Amino acid sequence: MEWKRTREPADAWHMTDDLHVEHGKGDPFAAAIRATRMSMIITDPRQPDNPVVFANDAFLRLTGYERHEVLGKNCRFLQGPKTDKAAVEQIRAAIEEETDVSVDILNYRKDGSTFWNALYISPVSNDKGDLQFFFASQLDVSDRKHSESRINADKDRFEKAVKERTAELEAALDAQTTLLHEVDHRVKNNLQMISSLIIMQRRTIRDEGTRRSLTTMLERIEALSTVHRRLYQSKDVSKFDVADFAKDLVTDLLTASGRAEISPALDLQPIIISAEKATPIALMVNELVTNALKHAFKSKPDGMSAGRLGIKMSQPDGHLNIEVSDDGIGMADANGDASFGMRLIKSLARQLRAEIEWRDTGPGTKVVISIPNEPQEKGNVS
Amino acid sequence: MIEPLKVLIIEDEALLAMELESLVEDAGHSVVGWATSSAEAMAMADATEADIAFVDIHLSDGPSGIDVAKYIGERKSSTVVFMTANPKRIPDHFAGAIGVIAKPYTMNGLTSALRYLQEGVRRPPPVSARPAGFTLSPAFETAWAPAA
Ligand SMILES: Nc1ncnc2c1ncn2[C@@H]1O[C@H](COP(=O)(O)OP(=O)(O)OP(=O)(O)O)[C@@H](O)[C@H]1O
Ligand SMILES: [Mg+2]
Repeated sequence: MEWKRTREPADAWHMTDDLHVEHGKGDPFAAAIRATRMSMIITDPRQPDNPVVFANDAFLRLTGYERHEVLGKNCRFLQGPKTDKAAVEQIRAAIEEETDVSVDILNYRKDGSTFWNALYISPVSNDKGDLQFFFASQLDVSDRKHSESRINADKDRFEKAVKERTAELEAALDAQTTLLHEVDHRVKNNLQMISSLIIMQRRTIRDEGTRRSLTTMLERIEALSTVHRRLYQSKDVSKFDVADFAKDLVTDLLTASGRAEISPALDLQPIIISAEKATPIALMVNELVTNALKHAFKSKPDGMSAGRLGIKMSQPDGHLNIEVSDDGIGMADANGDASFGMRLIKSLARQLRAEIEWRDTGPGTKVVISIPNEPQEKGNVS
Repeated sequence: MIEPLKVLIIEDEALLAMELESLVEDAGHSVVGWATSSAEAMAMADATEADIAFVDIHLSDGPSGIDVAKYIGERKSSTVVFMTANPKRIPDHFAGAIGVIAKPYTMNGLTSALRYLQEGVRRPPPVSARPAGFTLSPAFETAWAPAA
């Protein structure tokens, strides 16, 4: 659009010179400006207070004023109480610096109603570079402004809704975490109580066989306790490190047995399994280690000679391999499948879809378990 | 022979306190008192002379075990060892405590912890291995188990 250029050749502007004196009816350029639907005015900065010297019909239609009401006045009559001060300041500064400016500003009609005005002002100079006029066009963008503010309101509403929902979810998560802590706390306390009950019961019993039974039971429950303690020490309660568990278990059982002549040989890779496998694996390892301690070194010919109890854990190709070995008397004389411990081991192996094999290693026994394991996730356990 | 320990038990669960008392005595130490609430515990800490106070975090008046530990720590009447199923509730500075025995402990775990503590209190630093389920506070980690 021609009139948006700030520095026009002087001969183009003699036509607009004519405009403000309301002559030049035959000038097609002036006629176009008069008749266009775009609201336009021209002000004269050389007169005091930069008054309007020309306004086209579109401007009068837009603002509701008569021509004689606007000519000779400064444009600020369009402003009102809700007009943004910053926008006004922006216009003032542009006029002072004689540069063009484009700003959305809330203006008031004669009847007091408001409209959003996409105002564009540009200075017009003659060929010597002296400022002659300011040219201003007004476009009613109330519709755009309203939909903008509707979109903003929608956005605010959405953001508020999202914030509320997030707060709700966070509260629910907090409640869940508290519940999890509470349940975990109770499980562990109850396991402690069960152990305590067994220990207290055992104290009252004289019969050696019954005492041994209670001890075996205590060992099994303590294996579960160790699982629970370990499970909750990790950052991720859904994962469990079997190697850490085995270390705790063997140390514990060995010192508890008081048999300093048996030395542990641990070869443990950290192996992470999912929490639901923790209990069966822990119970199985407990059975094998207690068996070795109880049976393997029972009647070595030289009585208290040194023994070795080995646990090896490795993880080749998606399997978890556990080996529990001893260099004791071997299992040639073992009385087969009738006993509870063996049945427990075999059932747990079935539950885990594990293969289990007893090897006579002369001297001693090696039990090899191979459990299918899901792909390992690294670095989950503290 | 190292001199045995005098132990204060602060635990709201009677069954556990009872069993703990037996285990402490079986190991040759003595129990000088049992408290179930924080108020009772503080009064008892003032009235008795104990070497070690086993303090549960959850007491009959709520999760007040940490306050008890602070109180005992300020008076220096004895040294606290937390004994809890909820070790994550213990503040990083451990309120001056030696460490924590995580519940559920095994019978052997507790006996080993008692031996370890006896050595640590009577002739620091302890010589036996730190038992499974026993965690030292950062301060005692430095004093008793400096990184090799
Ligand atoms: N590592 C081993 N070395 C020598 N003999 C063993 C070994 N493991 C098991 N046995 C023999 O196998 C038998 C069966 O073991 P099992 O665990 O089923 O029973 P248990 O240990 O005697 O009793 P429980 O049912 O309480 O476990 C044992 O009595 C023992 O004779
Ligand atoms: Mg067995």
